[in-house]
Amino acid sequence: MHADGPLTESTELRMDQLTTESAAAPAADTAAVFTTQGLEVYYGDFRAVRDVDLTIRQHEITAFIGPSGCGKTTVLRCFNRMNDLIDTARVKGSIRYHGVDLYDPQVNAVEVRRRIGMVFQKPNPFPKSIYDNVAYGPRLAGIKKRTELDAVVERSLHGAALWDEVKGRLKASGLSLSGGQQQRLCIARAIAVEPEVILMDEPCSALDPIATARIEDLMQEIKQQYTIVIVTHNMQQAARVSDRTAFFTTEVNPESDRRTGRMVEFGRTSKMFSKPDDERTEQYVTGRFG
Amino acid sequence: MNELRKSFHSDLDDAKKELVALAASVTEAIPRATAVLLEGDLEGADFIIRGDDEIDARSLDIEEHCYRILALQAPVASDLRQVVALLKMVAEVERSNDLLCNICKAARRIYGHELDPKLRGIISRMGEQAQQLYDAAIESFIENDAAKAAAIDDMDSYLDGLQKQFVQAIFESHAAGRIDLQVAVQLAVVARFYERIGDHAVNIGERVNFVVTGWLPEHKGAQRYRARMDITGEIPRDGMADLAGDPS
Repeated sequence: MHADGPLTESTELRMDQLTTESAAAPAADTAAVFTTQGLEVYYGDFRAVRDVDLTIRQHEITAFIGPSGCGKTTVLRCFNRMNDLIDTARVKGSIRYHGVDLYDPQVNAVEVRRRIGMVFQKPNPFPKSIYDNVAYGPRLAGIKKRTELDAVVERSLHGAALWDEVKGRLKASGLSLSGGQQQRLCIARAIAVEPEVILMDEPCSALDPIATARIEDLMQEIKQQYTIVIVTHNMQQAARVSDRTAFFTTEVNPESDRRTGRMVEFGRTSKMFSKPDDERTEQYVTGRFG
Repeated sequence: MNELRKSFHSDLDDAKKELVALAASVTEAIPRATAVLLEGDLEGADFIIRGDDEIDARSLDIEEHCYRILALQAPVASDLRQVVALLKMVAEVERSNDLLCNICKAARRIYGHELDPKLRGIISRMGEQAQQLYDAAIESFIENDAAKAAAIDDMDSYLDGLQKQFVQAIFESHAAGRIDLQVAVQLAVVARFYERIGDHAVNIGERVNFVVTGWLPEHKGAQRYRARMDITGEIPRDGMADLAGDPS
């Protein structure tokens, strides 16, 4: 698992080129990890979200905000092809991951999900021990040696700021932990397979403020190694933790009375919360529209 | 479209109304202070000087109101700009009233001295111009009118010109033996007070521009500073003083 397999059989990721390109870009911008253009997601013939044009940059936290039903989770799930698991879902437009078309038929969705991990709204540890939760992915990837697994588990639990709390009871069930600890266990499980990107779908919505603050601190720490995309209903959380923010809204088609999500504005978080360009963003963040 | 956070926004509107009312009190006091000076009205001087405590108290209330909004409501975007602007404006208004008190104190010091018509005429015009500047500043804030706010800067140039004229007239009056040195000095300081009140109105206008457009007035000076840094590659030893150039 440590030697990254190629994402596709024919297309090697050309990281060296990407690095060179990013060096020429303005100093403030890190390399692009994902770039979407004209992205739309359909469920059957229903267009759930459109106009998604954004760039997710390396070692940054990108937040998606917007009212319910605006398509932010749908877009998040495109980044690791989780929407493939829904029969009727299909994607139009392009999502490029390091320049590679993520939806190219040759792209291996399992390898995509190895590189792009996900943490969900509700902590969902497996009904296994803390150790086995974290070791699950590495075992699937073929690591058998106990010492090697031990090292991965310890490193991942450290990485998720959970080690000190659980090191004496690694054999206890993951479900015996508190909600906040369970969510950090899920983060440890996600980073155990050494992904490049971690997608977080409202990771703190089931947690109390202290557990939330821990996760937010943890996000700041781990963004040095990973790239994070977070969907959140908590605008202040987006303001606190993210480097860039995408604002989505919903539009109702008067004829069909169907709601379609739409990305309205994408920019640096400091700007989105102080002087957004789009009036709709302004109205949403100031609470004049909901 | 559903209006959310209604009580927060009405709270924010209240803070704005408090500031507008405070600024209106100061605006009304400008012609009173001018009359105190021209008529040697010692009672009127006392009235304005005592009234400053009330202005201070109301300023403090507005400041605390803003802190409460920041602490409890986490305002963002235009709401945040408004709270930050209110905090800056309240200091400008409060300071302007201090300057009116200073004019009244100067009136006490020159009590009993006759001023010639030319001096009286310019004092009167400075007072009117300062009041107009304040009116315009407050109107632009009420109406969120960045264009009107920008015009205040030009109006202030006229007040600056009056101040220069006034200083010249003081010299002439003193040279002709119509006023003694102590009165001349007091009058020169009074001219400076009016001019400063105008500057505070300009600053309020700049904050209105910030509320509307998000542009901070200090950007002009900061740009000059950065340009200088780009050339020399280091912070100038004499600090900002030589960068001030044409302070606007």
